[in-house]
Amino acid sequence: MKAFFVAALQSALDLGIGTPEDVLKHATPDLLAEHLPRPLWARLLTACVGAPKVDAQLVVETVGVSNLCEYTPATAIWACIAEIAARTLGGAVPIARPVVTGPKALTSSSAAGPVAGHPTPAKGTPVKPLSIGSPPPMETKPTPTPPPAKAVGTNIPAPGASVPIGIEDVVAELDAESSPPARARTPTGQRFRQTNTNIGRLAQANQQQQRRPQAQAAVAPPEVPQARPRRGETEIEVEIETDVKSSDDWRTALAVEDEQLVDWSSSEETMTTTEGDAHSRKR
Amino acid sequence: MSQDQRQAWFARMMESGLEHSIFKPSDVLAHATPDVLASHLPADLLSKVLTASLAAGSMTPERVLETVTPELLAKHLPHDVLWACIAAAAARAGVSTS
Repeated sequence: MKAFFVAALQSALDLGIGTPEDVLKHATPDLLAEHLPRPLWARLLTACVGAPKVDAQLVVETVGVSNLCEYTPATAIWACIAEIAARTLGGAVPIARPVVTGPKALTSSSAAGPVAGHPTPAKGTPVKPLSIGSPPPMETKPTPTPPPAKAVGTNIPAPGASVPIGIEDVVAELDAESSPPARARTPTGQRFRQTNTNIGRLAQANQQQQRRPQAQAAVAPPEVPQARPRRGETEIEVEIETDVKSSDDWRTALAVEDEQLVDWSSSEETMTTTEGDAHSRKR
Repeated sequence: MSQDQRQAWFARMMESGLEHSIFKPSDVLAHATPDVLASHLPADLLSKVLTASLAAGSMTPERVLETVTPELLAKHLPHDVLWACIAAAAARAGVSTS
């Protein structure tokens, strides 16, 4: 009941229907002094001392409607509300009139019982009226236009794409699809060398032989001892000069007979032999 | 004091009385009788009341006040009728001076 008083009195003050003077007309200072707690009185006195003007508005604002309805007797608050209502209604309506409850034209909820889907609120719980007005109009949400889909793949054009494609482009695409890729993939099996066979190493060795052929070394025939020409002895003679120390020995070793002498001026073969010998000597 | 202010105040008192169970919907309809409702409510509001009751299968004071909200009560019904409801509740609560 006090909550109702608070709502009624506060709304009356807010709407300007009632005034603080109306409140203090019923909640008199004597009544406040009797029922208001001392802390509230202390607050009220403090506000009044510091205020340039003390009036009903200051008292009501300082104490508060809720505190007034809380501590002031309900009869006083009700008298205030009733007076405001009487003034509002022109004073023709009596402040309190006993209600004679006649036969109800409508079936009350308690008599009819709870309706399925509409449970009756428990006694003591506030009944919050609900509006069951006509449902709001159906919202016609505009169907969002799907954005143009992008191409799924490189060769798949978008469904909504309106890019004109010439026949040349189509042929080029088909050729591109049918032709093998520019870089052929190396089979995986040839990429790695097998560990056990060493085929790769042999193949590499063969390739090296092909790259760098080498002639087979000719087997040298066994040397047949040949009689060395005389000039060779002459050649030995030079060496002997280096090695032999004794002057008498070389004279005996190089003893030449007469038939072994060659006429150098008349023999061409000897000359040739000499040239070849000279050539071999250079080497 | 304008009519709108008085209407708003009665609407607030009716809402608060129902919210705090100072009076019940049946108490409201004890004063706002079907004759009063039929005489003062507009046709579309009466139609809504009947439609809601037909949909639920019954017409209860709670369902009537779900359609005819305190604002609509204060807007269409005479305020003395509403005040009679409030005053009767105060008398039941024992706070009435007379």
